[in-house]
Amino acid sequence: MTEIDLDDLREELLQCRRCGICRNSVYEAKGFDGICPIWRNTSGFETSFMRGKIQVALALLDGTLERTAENAESLYQCALCGNCTQICAAEFHPAHIMETVRYVLNELPNESRDKIAESIKSVDNPYNEDPSSRRVWLEELGLNVPTSSEILYFVGCTSGLRIQNIAKNTALILNAAKTDFAVMENEPCCGSVMMRTGRMEEARENAEKVVDAIKATGAKKVIVSCAGCLKTLRKDYSEKFGIEMPEILHIVEYSKELLAENKLKLKSLDNIKVTYHDPCHLGREMEIYEEPREIIQAIPGVNLVEVNPNRNTAICCGAGGGLRSYDSDLSRKIAADRMKAFEETGAKTVVSACPFCETNLIAGSKLLDSDIEVVDVVDLLRRAIE
Amino acid sequence: MDPSFVQALVDIVGEEFVSTRADVLLTYSVSASIGYDRVVPGTVVRPASTEEVSQILKLANKHKIPVTPRSGGSSLQGEVIPQEDGLVIDLLRLDSVQLFKDLRSVRVGAGVTFGVLDKYLNQHKLWVPVYPDSSLVCTVAGNVAVNGAGPGSGVQGCIAELVLGLEVVLPNGEVIQTGTEANPNAPGPFLRYAFGPDITGLLIGSLGAFGIITAVSIKTFKRMEHFYYQSYGFDTAEGAERFLSELRHNDVSIPMAAIYEGRILEFFLDMIGEEYGIPQTEWPPFTVSATIGRIRKDQLDSDIKMAESICMELDGRVVGVPELPQGEWEDRMWTFVRSSYVHGWWWMMLYHHQAPTNWHRSVEEIWNVMDKYGILGQTAGFLTGGRSYNFYPQLYFDPVDREEEEKVREAHRELSQRLFKTGAVPFKLARYWVEDVEEMKPYLQFIKNLKQNIDPNGIMNPGILGGI
Repeated sequence: MTEIDLDDLREELLQCRRCGICRNSVYEAKGFDGICPIWRNTSGFETSFMRGKIQVALALLDGTLERTAENAESLYQCALCGNCTQICAAEFHPAHIMETVRYVLNELPNESRDKIAESIKSVDNPYNEDPSSRRVWLEELGLNVPTSSEILYFVGCTSGLRIQNIAKNTALILNAAKTDFAVMENEPCCGSVMMRTGRMEEARENAEKVVDAIKATGAKKVIVSCAGCLKTLRKDYSEKFGIEMPEILHIVEYSKELLAENKLKLKSLDNIKVTYHDPCHLGREMEIYEEPREIIQAIPGVNLVEVNPNRNTAICCGAGGGLRSYDSDLSRKIAADRMKAFEETGAKTVVSACPFCETNLIAGSKLLDSDIEVVDVVDLLRRAIE
Repeated sequence: MDPSFVQALVDIVGEEFVSTRADVLLTYSVSASIGYDRVVPGTVVRPASTEEVSQILKLANKHKIPVTPRSGGSSLQGEVIPQEDGLVIDLLRLDSVQLFKDLRSVRVGAGVTFGVLDKYLNQHKLWVPVYPDSSLVCTVAGNVAVNGAGPGSGVQGCIAELVLGLEVVLPNGEVIQTGTEANPNAPGPFLRYAFGPDITGLLIGSLGAFGIITAVSIKTFKRMEHFYYQSYGFDTAEGAERFLSELRHNDVSIPMAAIYEGRILEFFLDMIGEEYGIPQTEWPPFTVSATIGRIRKDQLDSDIKMAESICMELDGRVVGVPELPQGEWEDRMWTFVRSSYVHGWWWMMLYHHQAPTNWHRSVEEIWNVMDKYGILGQTAGFLTGGRSYNFYPQLYFDPVDREEEEKVREAHRELSQRLFKTGAVPFKLARYWVEDVEEMKPYLQFIKNLKQNIDPNGIMNPGILGGI
């Protein structure tokens, strides 16, 4: 990451003319039905949405506001979902600039940010889990997967350590398509959350470690099942650190290829009605909207109904940007709010393509006492594979 | 601010909705009003009902705390910049919507934006044909408080023409209802001019100086579904001006129409032309960009013919570029926000109304001021009702160039004085319009008297309405 010029940063923040369009815009003809999930699910003061956050950032940078944990709260109480960027007419990217502000002001107190960074540094995952358990799910599957191959499945921390069904079903899909692939013995964290929360120097060091680890597998193509890993490995490493990576594909992209090549035979699932949640990192950041939908619609018997809003104007699940660690109650509340929208579709299943979204949506579902099932695209696809 | 006062606010709305935090206060020290100095309030409160607003005002009145009502925070002329250590009442939680389909009206709480209302009414194939360019941010009540307008108002006129009644909390906390709803036995809002003097009119455009509008009852109309977009060219400003007047005189239904002088059109197209897919065109010196809209297709066809015929009679020509009006119309809820942002400048705005036949006078003065001060800017606008043209000239400055900002502030002041002399009028009474204007003194004194009677402690948004 190049050194940040504070004058340039200030000038970028001043691109905001305080119009407030980033709060709760509803523009039916353009697909917007609310913007900021933080504004909607908190007390709703100006600090809750991007217009206010930018004012706070400017004041913290120029010293108008004292650099305390309380004054900095609004900077971290943001999922960096980027929906404000979708509607903002100014020539800057509010969510990205907020990430830069967090980096520049990273001496601000934030316990959860520091804990996560330390955990990644010491045990290669943000959950402070025993790293040796990374391949346990593979053993449970009974698959003999090597640690080096031209195709690497980069599992990610949440799939590898928390929602292992995603890892298992990804592996089973690859296996069903007769794809030779590897899984690392000691897979490091991609470092996404370090970047989002402003620990950029550690993220750079971590990225170098990840690159070395991937190189050691001989991979020419890396498949991920996490939207955050995808954005980090495919976009951030090159843009922020100038690191060249092999081809990085999300499993929804790769599965689409497999389906096009008839490498997966699908059976009918019994007339199920599903809806799809666009993960922010997969959708707004990587502009992958259609592939997961095409996969879902390729499964006979599955009826996809859209939630409103969706695609580039979708509302975030509330997990991203370090929010789930920083303010887990708020994060869950946002997920519950999103689940209400899914309930309105009449679907019995919500499908997503990010383990972190799934984790939070399940938490939201519990909070709401909803009976909607939350699954990953790979879970649904795996069920349909003959 | 006195902790006992803050605690009393907490008792009314709950701790979650009162803040004295430095970061929160900082964000309420500004609004979308660029070129105005920041003033930090003492407390912000977010009530959820008229009853809570009433209790808050009783309290503020008792303690003589200055109050700034605020909803979308999108006003551009300093209307919600608070008083130092004052109280800001954020009204966005008042978000109820009640449709009176048989009465062809709707009642909305002070926190309902035009975007939210439009989506709601669209389900019933209805609309309120005023789309302020900040429709996604500003509330209907806020727009009533500033007496706004917007694209769509070419037929029915500005927001004031559509209001049927208001619920207002007076500075002493009493709640009054105007229009037919003042009678609790009435079926709802159907007539504004009920019970004698037009109290509704007194409150429209009052900038919160006489009380807080907590609900607005407003006319709804069947949504137009048939549109025709066309640009019409004229060699003279007078031709374009007469064209607008004749269109309305002949009852051609034009929810949106704007006149562009060549230079201004060039500027606008530079910002947004590509996005709208506007082809390279030999533009005339003056272009009228018009959206003709009707409920029925036969009405539309008739209007199209009439518009073309009037254009020809005035020696104009049909330019044949529908993309310009179509882009404006389809983007009507954010055209202004988007087009104004493109070049990265900040701006000061000087909303005003001008007689359509006097359109050229505003444009002349805007260019004169820009030339005198050596600043950039542009002016856009639209027809409002049949008899007025709503201008919103923008004077640009670099946000990091303090000297340029000062120059623009000065130019802004001078422009208001020059425009006044052309016969232009503001639709909200900002201080700079009437400061030291001899002809306006009796009018201002009358407003001062009203203010003194309605708000003897002077707590309601002091200094905003004409500097009172």
